Amino acid sequence: MTRKAIYLLAAFCGWLWIMGSSRDTLTAHAPVVEYYQLKIPDSLPPPVYDFKKNPLTKEGIALGRHLFYDPKLSLDSSVSCGFCHQQFAAFGHFDHALSHGVLGRTGVRSVPTLFNLIWQKDFMWDGGVNHLDIQPLTPITDENEMGMDMRELITRLQGNKTYKGLFKAAYGSEEVTTERMFRALSQFMAIMLSFESKYDSVMRKEPGVKFTAEEEGGHRTFMQKCASCHKPPLFTDYSLRNNGLPYLPSMNDVGRMRITNNTADYLKFKVPSLRNVLVSAPYMHDGRFFDIFQVFDMYDHGQEKGNTIDPLVKNGIPLNAKEQRQLYMFLNTLTDKNFIKNQDFSEVLITD
Amino acid sequence: MGIMNRLLILILLFTCTGTAAQQVRLDISHVVGNMPMQLKVTEYHNAAGDTFTITVFRYYLSNFTLSDATGKAVNAEKAYFLVSEDSTRSKQLLLKNCPAGKYTRLSFMIGVDSVLNFSGPQSGALDPMYGMFWTWNSGYIMAKLEGFSPSSRLPNHMIQFHIGGYRAPHVTQRLVTLELPTPVTVSARHTPQVSLEADAATWFDGLHKISFRQTAGFMAPGTIADRIADNYQHMFTVKEVIHRR
Ligand code: HEC
Ligand code: HEC
Repeated sequence: MTRKAIYLLAAFCGWLWIMGSSRDTLTAHAPVVEYYQLKIPDSLPPPVYDFKKNPLTKEGIALGRHLFYDPKLSLDSSVSCGFCHQQFAAFGHFDHALSHGVLGRTGVRSVPTLFNLIWQKDFMWDGGVNHLDIQPLTPITDENEMGMDMRELITRLQGNKTYKGLFKAAYGSEEVTTERMFRALSQFMAIMLSFESKYDSVMRKEPGVKFTAEEEGGHRTFMQKCASCHKPPLFTDYSLRNNGLPYLPSMNDVGRMRITNNTADYLKFKVPSLRNVLVSAPYMHDGRFFDIFQVFDMYDHGQEKGNTIDPLVKNGIPLNAKEQRQLYMFLNTLTDKNFIKNQDFSEVLITD
Repeated sequence: MGIMNRLLILILLFTCTGTAAQQVRLDISHVVGNMPMQLKVTEYHNAAGDTFTITVFRYYLSNFTLSDATGKAVNAEKAYFLVSEDSTRSKQLLLKNCPAGKYTRLSFMIGVDSVLNFSGPQSGALDPMYGMFWTWNSGYIMAKLEGFSPSSRLPNHMIQFHIGGYRAPHVTQRLVTLELPTPVTVSARHTPQVSLEADAATWFDGLHKISFRQTAGFMAPGTIADRIADNYQHMFTVKEVIHRR
């Protein structure tokens, strides 16, 4: 009798324990996962992304990568994140000024590159999205991008066999939730680091790697004229500024002002990183320039000097032909071939 | 009594006496002025003289506290509720883990704490899949009212109010404090039930009058959102307190 009672008590304790632990929806049954060590070069500031809330695991990253390349995340299963964010263009969209989404719809902004996102606090050209983990909500639900209803998407993925396996491996149970999906996408995007360009090798003084005279000249010009906003080593300071890019009435994009309702933020856009810039044309928030020399010309003589223009560029940035050529050579050293060819980030083919 | 029975009783007692069992139930009903809220069908009038119908009425409640006659306040278990006119279940709230006591005042927040507006996706009632999170300008929509009014100049004569904003100067969370007509006693054996009524007419007829001819919608943080939040801060009244075993 006593033994029976002990069993009963033990079972009851077990039940209590399960009830208590299942509250944590993210790691319901403590899955067996392999933690992933992200290697960040010492020269960099600490990331702003909080990995404690979303520890990297091999399984989480694999799920994130699958989600990233899965067109099922869109209304008519035609558009994946990777459709717009292409690896060979440093996850920008090669040759497209404005983004293209489901049902042939066109968005209103150009597709930004994706890398080194864990140092970024605000996302989108106007900084309107405030956390990497919430970022996927925008493209998934935007009718010009993936056009999906979140509840429908969760049902769709929940019914898919491959996802059952992937979610179980990453989180210990097959349950698909918004939080799990988005955190996994973040894990995949968090490991997209790009610090293996020629520029990085030169800075690390790797043997045998040197700037050419032209690149050296371009580096000097860059440090003088561009680096205050496109600040190394990330090649952006992540601030929002008006660099003098003329306002286009046809687009009527007021930039940061849309978010803050503050006229002082009129035409301010996020300073983009210039790493991999030569593989990620076209340029600016609306992709209006297809050639980097058009960008140089804009800074040299094509600005619109409204009252929110940044003091650093309000007198223009004179760039003669030689400086432009050298700048081009320097920007070329920011292309990270290892990054755009890295097999860890490449497309996974999804057939079911 | 066998040891088995005794054990069972022990278990039973154990499961009942935790504060988890000390609950307060809130029943919310929605009205518009002096008429019950009926989505889509009933026509209402605001103080500006506009006729309108309501198709969506939905808001977040959180941070529930109870205070006793001396003013001492205790918190119910942290929880977020998404109350929606189209869901009966969502209008029955269970405040869990309330410390035992006799309380004369109920307070809560309409909205979601600021920190959760910039901490990535949340689960439960806060799951962004419920369409209460802005995609272009991160942050929760604290409260939403949609419908139609012939006075509206928006397409199809829509009225659309998505009230949110958590960053100064446009902060839309509002604290509500309600005196209870009779004190409620919370204990392991009593789950008192408080009936609340929320009047959607206050959104437009409060301190700040809203006319749909001028403002048929507002879906961003800003001054109009702040004003409507000031208005709906006063939408709740206590109808009744019921003591049950
Ligand atoms: C239809 C094309 C398209 C699709 C599909 C798409 N994106 Fe984007 N993405 C964009 C555009 C355009 C922007 C910039 C939008 C803006 O600034 O308003 C962007 C911005 C981003 C950013 C912010 C980058 C920064 O530097 O601010 C991230 C991160 C991102 N997308 C990730 C994703 C993920 C994850 C998915 C899949 C769930 C996805 N995108 C699907 C076009 C797309
Ligand atoms: C005042 C700060 C500032 C300075 C100085 C500055 N930029 Fe920019 N840059 C910006 C901002 C802001 C944008 C985004 C503007 C937009 O999209 O509307 C930008 C965009 C760019 C882009 C487009 C990148 C892309 O991915 O679309 C390039 C290329 C660029 N800048 C190069 C330069 C060069 C070269 C210099 C120096 C000659 C320079 N910038 C100086 C602020 C600055």
